[in-house]
Parts: sequence; C-alpha cells; structure tokens
Amino acid sequence: MSDFIEKLKETFVTDDRWQYLVRGLGNTLIITVCAALIGIVLGFIVAMIRSTHDKTGKLKIGNFLCRIYLTVIRGTPMVVQLMIMYFVIFATLNSKYKIIVAILSFGINSGAYVAEIVRSGIMSIDNGQFEAGSSLGLSYRKTMFFIILPQAFKNVLPALANEVIVLLKETSVAGYIGMEDLTKGGDIIRANTYQAFMPLLAVAAIYLIMVIILTSLVGKLERRLAKNEKR
Amino acid sequence: MKKDNKPTLKEVEKAFSGEMIVVKDLHKSFGDLHILKGINTTVKQGEKVVIIGPSGSGKSTFLRCLNLLERPTSGSIFVDGVDLLSLNEKGVNCMRQRMGMVFQHFNLFPHLTIRRNITLAPIKLGLMTEEAANDKADELLEKVGLFDKCDAYPNQLSGGQKQRIAIARALAMQPEVMLFDEPTSALDPEMVGEVLELMKQLAEAGMTMIVVTHEMGFAKEVASRVMFMDDGQILEEAPPQEFFSNPKNERTKLFLSKVLI
Repeated sequence: MSDFIEKLKETFVTDDRWQYLVRGLGNTLIITVCAALIGIVLGFIVAMIRSTHDKTGKLKIGNFLCRIYLTVIRGTPMVVQLMIMYFVIFATLNSKYKIIVAILSFGINSGAYVAEIVRSGIMSIDNGQFEAGSSLGLSYRKTMFFIILPQAFKNVLPALANEVIVLLKETSVAGYIGMEDLTKGGDIIRANTYQAFMPLLAVAAIYLIMVIILTSLVGKLERRLAKNEKR
Repeated sequence: MKKDNKPTLKEVEKAFSGEMIVVKDLHKSFGDLHILKGINTTVKQGEKVVIIGPSGSGKSTFLRCLNLLERPTSGSIFVDGVDLLSLNEKGVNCMRQRMGMVFQHFNLFPHLTIRRNITLAPIKLGLMTEEAANDKADELLEKVGLFDKCDAYPNQLSGGQKQRIAIARALAMQPEVMLFDEPTSALDPEMVGEVLELMKQLAEAGMTMIVVTHEMGFAKEVASRVMFMDDGQILEEAPPQEFFSNPKNERTKLFLSKVLI
C-alpha cells in the first residue's frame, strides 16, 4: 500500500509533475473546441454546397471542389495531414504558433466528416418540406435556413456529438508536431519517472471523464430539441 | 398583399377580363415519360375548378406546374398576364406568394409551433411585422377553429387538424388563388368532412380555387367547373350539374360509372 502511495507521489507530486497533465489538458481542450468550431462551420458550408448541387443541379464547380476536399481529407490519415501542415505547408512558421497549425489541421479534418453528416441530415428531410417552403414564396436559401437546417441539425445531433468525441480523442496525436497535449503530458511523466502505469491510466481517465461530460451535455440538448415530438 | 390599396391598372384590367390563369399547350415530361400532353385552359377570378380523373392522369402534375413546383417542358402559363416561365427565380418566388398551395401530406413544419408555422413566411419575407403576423395567425386559427392549438406542435394534431392548419398557413400569405393537391386523400374518413367544410367556407368567401380531389360530393356542391383529365389531357370541362348528369366523353362516362357518388 505504501508502495502504491509512493508511486502516486512520484508520478504526480514530485517536481510538480501534475502540471504536465493540467497544461496538456488545457491544450487538448483548446485544440478540440476551436477545431470543432472550424469543423462545424466548414462542414455546414460544404454540406450546403453539396446538397444544393444534389437538389438543384447548381454549383457544379463548388461541388467538384468539395468532393476533392472530402476525398483527400477522408482518404489520408490525420497524423499525416497534421505533419504535412506543420512540416511542409507551414514549415517556415515560428514554432510557437504550432497550436494554431494543430487547430487548423484538426478543424479541416473534422469539417470533412461533419460535412457528410450534415449532408445526410439535409437529404433525410422530406422533399415536401422544401416544396412547402417554396410554395409559400420562400427562396431556396430561406427555406434551407429556417425550415430544413433546424430539422436536419436535430436529426444529426447524435452523429455530430460522436464526431466531436472522435475529434477530442484524435487530438492525442498532436504530440507528433511537439504539441504538449494531454497525451504528451502523460508521456513526459512516463519518460521522467520510468513508470508507465500511473500516468497512462490518469490520461485515459481524464479523456473518459471529458467524454462522459460531453455526452451528458449533448443528451440534454437532444431532449430540449425533442420537445416538438411529445404528444 | 395590398388589399386595402387602390387597385392598380393591372388589377383593373384583370377585373374586366377576369382571367386569372391562362394555360397554353402545356407539356411536361419526366425523362421519357410524357405526363402532360398539351393542356389548354383558363381560370377566371373567383372560379372554383375541380380536377378529377384516374390516378396517373397528370392532375397533380398539372397543379404543381401552376406554381412551378414542376417546371413544364414546354407551353406557357400566364398568371395575371405574366408569363411564369419568363420569370427569374425572384419573380417566381413573388408569384408563389400569391398562390397558396395545400398538399396531400400537409407538409407542416414539425419543428415549429402551429403559430410559427403560420407566421414564418409572412415574417421572413418581410410582409408583416411579428406582431401583425401573430394577430393574423390568431385570426386565422379562430377561423379554422383551432385557436387552442396555437402553441402545440404539428405532431400533436390529428390529420384533419393538420390540414386545416396547412390551409391557414397558406391563407396567411393572403393569396389570390388557392391550389389544393388531393387535400383529403391522406385523411381518415371521419376527418375528411372538417377539411371540406373549411374549403367550402373559403369558396363561399370568393376565393379562386383549383382543387385536385376524388371527393365527387365536393365537386358537385362547390365547383363552378369540373375538369376531367386522363392520360395527360383535359377530356371534358363542364359545370358540375352538366358534368355529372350528362357527360359527353366516353372515358368520362366510364370513369363516373366506376366511382361511387
């Protein structure tokens, strides 16, 4: 027992090692939140272009570009994209901005998945909703914003939440460009203490807790949006 | 939209000629499928035209062409002397504001309350302030007898109630013509009456109406003209007494002999 406490102390307390985890968690959260925002905005734009093309036949060039984006992003590993961004595209950038590169990479990556999620949501809405909007004299855009998207958003919320969870955990590869995220923080402790068990379990637990919190928040939002289904 | 204003020149002309919708040689194909094969007709202001015919005859397609939910392959449609097919997107949207449409499956917006369903279009199109639209909605809900449902959601209503709300939603735009696409076909039999009753009231109030339906009783009672369509063409048009008692066309006779009246 005293052995256990000794290890615990050495892992987290000695040299204030717990700060690696706190700082790492901070970076992980910053990257996740910012990348999720970029991903959702980007995803909605791409989804709108794609579904407008599917529904009306317009925006051919936009649709073509979007498809290239989706193919490239979904066809290559996240880590590789991250390294290409950091070591190739932004190779000359001062390394203190690496968090921005990370946010951008994860955001662009997430956008591709969000786009297809949102597009599936838009396409799942009955065409009668579009027709009802049109028949009232609403333009395509207004119909989209006020009638289709709110319903589509509600339908895809579970899938979107899933994407954010995946994103949160995927940020653990940020260490590849030297970001000190949560995983990297745990890794540093492991390297310093030659103890793998404690730091890795702590890191895993922190991810788990964040996902549980996120899931319960989304659950609340889902219940609020479902109020029009009560009978 | 501008009921209280002085009539414009166009409105005066229209009042004299009385021709609200003129359809000339309308064709519509879906790929190889030729649905409408040359429709010619005229609908006067205040007229109630009921379109009947077997399924697949093109009735609904014709109705949907009138507000360009389907784009005709060729031919022309004049509403108030304006050629619909010459309009750009904005023009089409403006024209649609003047033509209310009621669908077979209601197509209410499930994420909005009943009141918001009715006020959405007038507010978002900048035709009414939110207050004015709410007042209008309350007035319409009173009219269709569903005022107590104003804060409910569409899924909480019965089919008949939904369709009455759909009619109220279309009326909130103060349209000059109402198009009904089989408004009672998706309803339980016991709910058909309440919707037809409302449509009757609307007809009595002088609304120009074009109704695709299988309700022969409604056609007899309300129509000023019954139109029989089959195979993408209008085979017979006549006032209801004449149409039902003395049909001229063989196909019409056959159809009428098969439907219960």
